[in-house]
Amino acid sequence: MSGMDAAPPVPTGRSRRWRVARRRLLIGAGATVGSLVVGVPVALEYGRPSLVRWMLERGTGPTEIPESSLVWFELTRDGITLHVPKIEMGQGIHTALAQVAAEELRVPPERLTVVQADTARGFPASTLFTFGSTSVASLYTPIREAAAAVRAMLELAAAGQLGVDRRQLTAADGGFQIAGSDRRLAYTEVIAAHQGPWQEPGEQPELRPAGEFTSIGRSVPRVDFRAKLLGEATYGYDARLPGMAYGAFAVPPRFGAELESAEPGDAAGMPGVQQVVIDVEAGFAGVVADTRTRAWAAARALKVTWSEGTRVDTAALDRQVTAGDGVVLRREGSIRAALSRGRIVEADYRTPMAAHAHLEPLAALARVESGPAGKVELWVPTQSPESVLEDVHAALGEERDVVVHVTQLGGSFGRKGGQHLAVEAARLSAATGRPVHVGWTRDTDLRQAFYRPPTHTTMRGSIGSDGMIRGVEQHSAAGDIIWAVAGLPEPVRSLLGFDPGGLLGLFLPYDLPAYRLVNRREQLPVPTGPWRGLGLMPNTFALESFFDELAEAAGTDPLTYRLAHLRRGGEQEDRLRTVLRTAAQMAGWHESLPDGRGRGIACSGDVGTVVAVVAEVDLTGGRLRVTGIDAAVDCGLVVNPAGAKLQAQGSIVMGLSSALRESLQIRDGQVVSDNFDSYPILGMADTPPVRVTFTGGGDVPYGMGEPVVGPVPAAVANAIRAAGGPRLRSLPLRL
Amino acid sequence: MQLLINGRQHEVEHGDEPLVWVLRDELGLTGTHYGCGIGMCGCCTVLLAGRPARSCQITAAEVGDRPVVTLEGLAERDAAGEVVALHPVQEAFLETPLQCGWCLPGHVLCAVALLARDPAPDEAAIAEAAQPNLCRCGGYNTIKLAVARAAELARKA
Repeated sequence: MSGMDAAPPVPTGRSRRWRVARRRLLIGAGATVGSLVVGVPVALEYGRPSLVRWMLERGTGPTEIPESSLVWFELTRDGITLHVPKIEMGQGIHTALAQVAAEELRVPPERLTVVQADTARGFPASTLFTFGSTSVASLYTPIREAAAAVRAMLELAAAGQLGVDRRQLTAADGGFQIAGSDRRLAYTEVIAAHQGPWQEPGEQPELRPAGEFTSIGRSVPRVDFRAKLLGEATYGYDARLPGMAYGAFAVPPRFGAELESAEPGDAAGMPGVQQVVIDVEAGFAGVVADTRTRAWAAARALKVTWSEGTRVDTAALDRQVTAGDGVVLRREGSIRAALSRGRIVEADYRTPMAAHAHLEPLAALARVESGPAGKVELWVPTQSPESVLEDVHAALGEERDVVVHVTQLGGSFGRKGGQHLAVEAARLSAATGRPVHVGWTRDTDLRQAFYRPPTHTTMRGSIGSDGMIRGVEQHSAAGDIIWAVAGLPEPVRSLLGFDPGGLLGLFLPYDLPAYRLVNRREQLPVPTGPWRGLGLMPNTFALESFFDELAEAAGTDPLTYRLAHLRRGGEQEDRLRTVLRTAAQMAGWHESLPDGRGRGIACSGDVGTVVAVVAEVDLTGGRLRVTGIDAAVDCGLVVNPAGAKLQAQGSIVMGLSSALRESLQIRDGQVVSDNFDSYPILGMADTPPVRVTFTGGGDVPYGMGEPVVGPVPAAVANAIRAAGGPRLRSLPLRL
Repeated sequence: MQLLINGRQHEVEHGDEPLVWVLRDELGLTGTHYGCGIGMCGCCTVLLAGRPARSCQITAAEVGDRPVVTLEGLAERDAAGEVVALHPVQEAFLETPLQCGWCLPGHVLCAVALLARDPAPDEAAIAEAAQPNLCRCGGYNTIKLAVARAAELARKA
């Protein structure tokens, strides 16, 4: 139950003293009698493991962040609290991670209290950037090991208290059964009775084998949802403090425009305005007022001038993102020889810019104590608390003590990993000496964001006399994703010729005698960045649409054609074959459909997970309707089937929304699709039944937040063609 | 001026402000969410005299003496304000949850209004009642299940 009370407690001191017990385990030192704190540091690769590996092989790129982030357990006589460094924005990870901990603690997961870690309690970096579908996969083993160690420490203490050998104790249901006795000792009783230091387990206690799981693999209720249903959850927009005022600030009219001058103008005398805050050097002009709408109105009345910025429009951006020359990222076989003969198929594909359109606009609350070194406390719906820390330090002074509390996030999809309103709220609070909340309107939220960049892909393939593909040449181009928000200096990026985010979904998964891939990245004059799955969905749209075009030219069923081109014996390929066959079976792939209706299939892989999607469409009456989606997903071990199904269905609906609706329009250097009237997203009426089957298993979970979005638009485009419609090669798909 | 919200009279200062901001910022009822400000997303839905209304589209003064129900007002509570029983719609969404939850005011309150006039809605009626409300997490399939389940729970109650 992350979030905060109406009047949040002022955090106690920021550092807890820890004693390093073993290589990985940290035990809270100086813990009071009757409590136990155990933590485990987590080293995480900076980027997605597969990307990082890819980059390392080429001798470049970031590798690791220090072992500083912590998962920790706090046990008191009232129960067990799990402090989770990863952030809940709807994915259900707090529930899944509680299940993982409960498994090794031998406690029903419902009995754990789950708390969002903040930067105040424990460690300054005890929160983790939450991105790339890595939360469950990366914390699965550390949490299990820490939980098993906690259980072992409780067992040692209980044995001492009872005067029995620890082997006579069996942990179950939050307590110990004593062999040959009816007696039970609850963990809370062990904690309450404990005196002196805790004895450490000598070695890593054994973890429960996957076949004996009772908590992992169950659809337990979400830990965050009761509060949400009661209207009691605290999202960023809901953060409150006594005496709080409302802030707003002037935003640039065009991308790239910078503040040149600012004066209060009419804002100072407007109703409810308490203060105008101007710092032209910092590019800031804002107001503080007694209500939010008054703050918004006053910010619009500030007398500000801006530099020119860009006057770019969507058409110009599309022209800039044009596939052609670039860096060769894949060269297998002789593409020239392959394309010199056989039947040639050529096509090119485009995907437009898109917004995240999370339903909770950006917001932040700040309380800054007076003086140049005054403490800063922030409540922010962010995926990246460490970047909030850095930004606020940079803006208000490195010497300040800054604490970030992460609230619930009302959706994010990548957007809340970047720019946030913490700095602006902090500036206004510092200037006025009172807590200030800043929340954006929908139109500002859509105009002042970063966006999924446009892509352009040209494909050329050749089919031999046996109907098999002889070779494929692919030219891809996209605006930056990762490089747009972080990372290496431009000369290095230019040299590399690719953006790590743009690599997702970029490579054909099929076994081809010849394959050449030339990639081009573009730094655009508008902000671009991570959107659910990064390059995965735009790239998969091109590749899997083209694969169907090849199958059609070869006169072969698209499913059969895919199966025939997946390498025999490859692990990834075998898993792709399984999801393709499963999705096809779910959809009744081989059953005929009436005229005007058709099915399309597509697949992709990302963060260890492979997905196949079959879409069914109805084109009768000249109108495009998606009538059903069947998806097979292998994400390895499924920790919470109900939660994973929501992630899969949600990814499919978001992919459908991109396939059928979304195209962010830019005119004169600004976003003109700035609310749900001009930037429509998919609603209930256009959402078909979405069926999901999980085909994985084993004891390793892979990512679930993003992979399923990948194949959706391609599956729909392929279905439209199969239904006798045109081959559509750009999103959104329009007949 | 006074507003009747969740069965209690509240003194309201800013009658000229949209109801969503009066609820959230003046009265601290942050269960009603802001999403678009143009009445298209449904996150700010309240029940106004029992019917779903977009609280970003009316001022507090325009509410007049019509009773307002927000997400916070659905559960049955004891004198101390502790929840005694969830509303069947809340119960159903707890069994069949969505994800981020920012859209809940629209989906929950439209379902409450639907069940009040049609205790046994078919799938088409459920979809029609939910249609005005967006869910960016894409939970539309789940919403239909939850509302059907809520109808079942309400009939049993």
